[in-house]
Amino acid sequence: MSADTRDGEDGVSEARIRERLDRVTDPELDTSIVELEYIDEIGIDGNEVHVAMTLPTAWCSPAFAWMMATDARDEIERLHGVSEATIELREHMHEREINRGVNKGLSFGEAFPDAEGGVEPVRTELDEKARLARQHDATSALLDAGLDGDQIVALTRDDIMIENDNAHVWLREGAVGVCVDADPLERYVEKAAATGLVDDDHPELFRTPAGEPIGPEAFETVHHRTRAAGVNMSGQGSVCDALHESRRAEDRPPLSSF
Amino acid sequence: MYEYEGEEVFVIDSHLHLWDASEPNITHEGGEQFIQCFYDYHTAFTPEEKQWDLEEYRQYDADRMAGDLFGNAAVDMGIFQPTYLQDFYAEGFNTIGDNAELAERYPERFVLNGRFDPRDGEAGLRELERQKEQYDIEGVKLYTAEWNGDSKGWRLDSEESFRFLEKCAELGIDKIHPHKGPTIRPLNRDAFDVADVDDAATSFPELNFVVEHVGLPRLDDFCWIAAQEPNVYGGLAVAAPMAVHRPRKFGEIMGELLFWLGEDRLLFGSDYALWNPDWLVDVVMNAELTQEQRDEYGVELDIEIKKKIMGENAADLYDIDIEEKKRQFREDAVTKEFGLGDHYGRSATPADD
Repeated sequence: MSADTRDGEDGVSEARIRERLDRVTDPELDTSIVELEYIDEIGIDGNEVHVAMTLPTAWCSPAFAWMMATDARDEIERLHGVSEATIELREHMHEREINRGVNKGLSFGEAFPDAEGGVEPVRTELDEKARLARQHDATSALLDAGLDGDQIVALTRDDIMIENDNAHVWLREGAVGVCVDADPLERYVEKAAATGLVDDDHPELFRTPAGEPIGPEAFETVHHRTRAAGVNMSGQGSVCDALHESRRAEDRPPLSSF
Repeated sequence: MYEYEGEEVFVIDSHLHLWDASEPNITHEGGEQFIQCFYDYHTAFTPEEKQWDLEEYRQYDADRMAGDLFGNAAVDMGIFQPTYLQDFYAEGFNTIGDNAELAERYPERFVLNGRFDPRDGEAGLRELERQKEQYDIEGVKLYTAEWNGDSKGWRLDSEESFRFLEKCAELGIDKIHPHKGPTIRPLNRDAFDVADVDDAATSFPELNFVVEHVGLPRLDDFCWIAAQEPNVYGGLAVAAPMAVHRPRKFGEIMGELLFWLGEDRLLFGSDYALWNPDWLVDVVMNAELTQEQRDEYGVELDIEIKKKIMGENAADLYDIDIEEKKRQFREDAVTKEFGLGDHYGRSATPADD
């Protein structure tokens, strides 16, 4: 909330909008849409903001496109001084339905009456994947800092104290502290919270893919599975990236229309 | 035969198509979207100088295909995997009949797979029997995101599917190749979810399931299923061409696959004409894991393992005797037509050496 108060004093700027958009991820890749260079244009007209974006392919899943467009709208509208954000998704096979739905505040089901199922189960599935990939980064950082698997599986949220860019991890009931980079742990906790694994019935911070505490002897297998989740996600990122590049290539032959 | 640093590598390309997406064959806009989407994948993962233009990509004939496979001796044998898409294409996109044109011209060089769609019910079972009878198929390619009337997909672990898998077991069709891979417009992404392979593979231990495209974008789910189920294999179509522009990523994916499945259950496939083995075989053979990747995964991708992936694993699965094939290929029709005698001649008389 304090950030929003400060926003009001500074006025709406492209830099602050970009900073907001940076929090929106491509849900399949768990990477910021700013970093992925999906943003084409940012327009500011008084209290109104207009963002134009293009995805790697014209046939990116409509559910994914919908998530990115609505998340972008919501992030910008949270900025103090913005009354309305409109999103213009470009060069997408469903740009008409998505732009209309997002800018009129419709639900996914209203925008796509023929779609089977809503967008939330899709988001949950992808959040769970992202949580696993982030768990791999976080637990790898802890392994690098000298912790072992038994120590890692026993950690609870209360054992970790974030201070500026550092995370202090307390072991042996607070008798020993280890300091690591806060970023992978913070990123993990964010997705653990998004998938309902913080404040549930178990105090353990890290979990199996099914969301259960990690049993004795199981750390290594779970660690390997989280590695695979990360490789999958970045592998898919490479596919999207390559498709994006070829779509934008100067000598790309024009496609015929049917 | 492909040669790598003086060593012969017998290549079985386990994923081939002879397709027709010419405009007269397209009956639904999905057919046009489908081929254009394929073309996006083609250009994204093909070296610039090897790219086809869209018109030649729509439809190529058996002669062109034979030249691409055998002209520079990149491939020794191939396995056809049909993709019907009859809701999009009048005569189908790539049917067993289309593929048979080339497979029957050079029967010693090809394995011809069939297909089924459980939504076709009794007629589908009869069609499967026909394919067995007419072509003696040993395998089927399955396309779970295919449209069929109002349906936008089917599951491998459904009751109807199990009826067909039972029929496969009964007919001796024991290689099941479900496509579990990237989204292709306009098909539904989730209809390619690899999760349904798990129960099918457990329920039919007598069948082998070659998961085409290794489950991407659900590689992790695929690896976990394959690690539990010894009758689950990985088909490398789509993963292989990542070696072109994304060699590091290719190495990571191979690291995962070798870590979870080992070296005996991975099959090379070009997905022709998505990608062309005339350059892809060379790219994959020259791909390497970084030292960091070898340390991370504790695996190697050396020449012996590459030989398994490029041909020996498919040969084991399809009961192909590579040495017998090499003798046969010394003077078969392909060797005569493409002047490949030298490729199979050298080991012709080992006793005299």
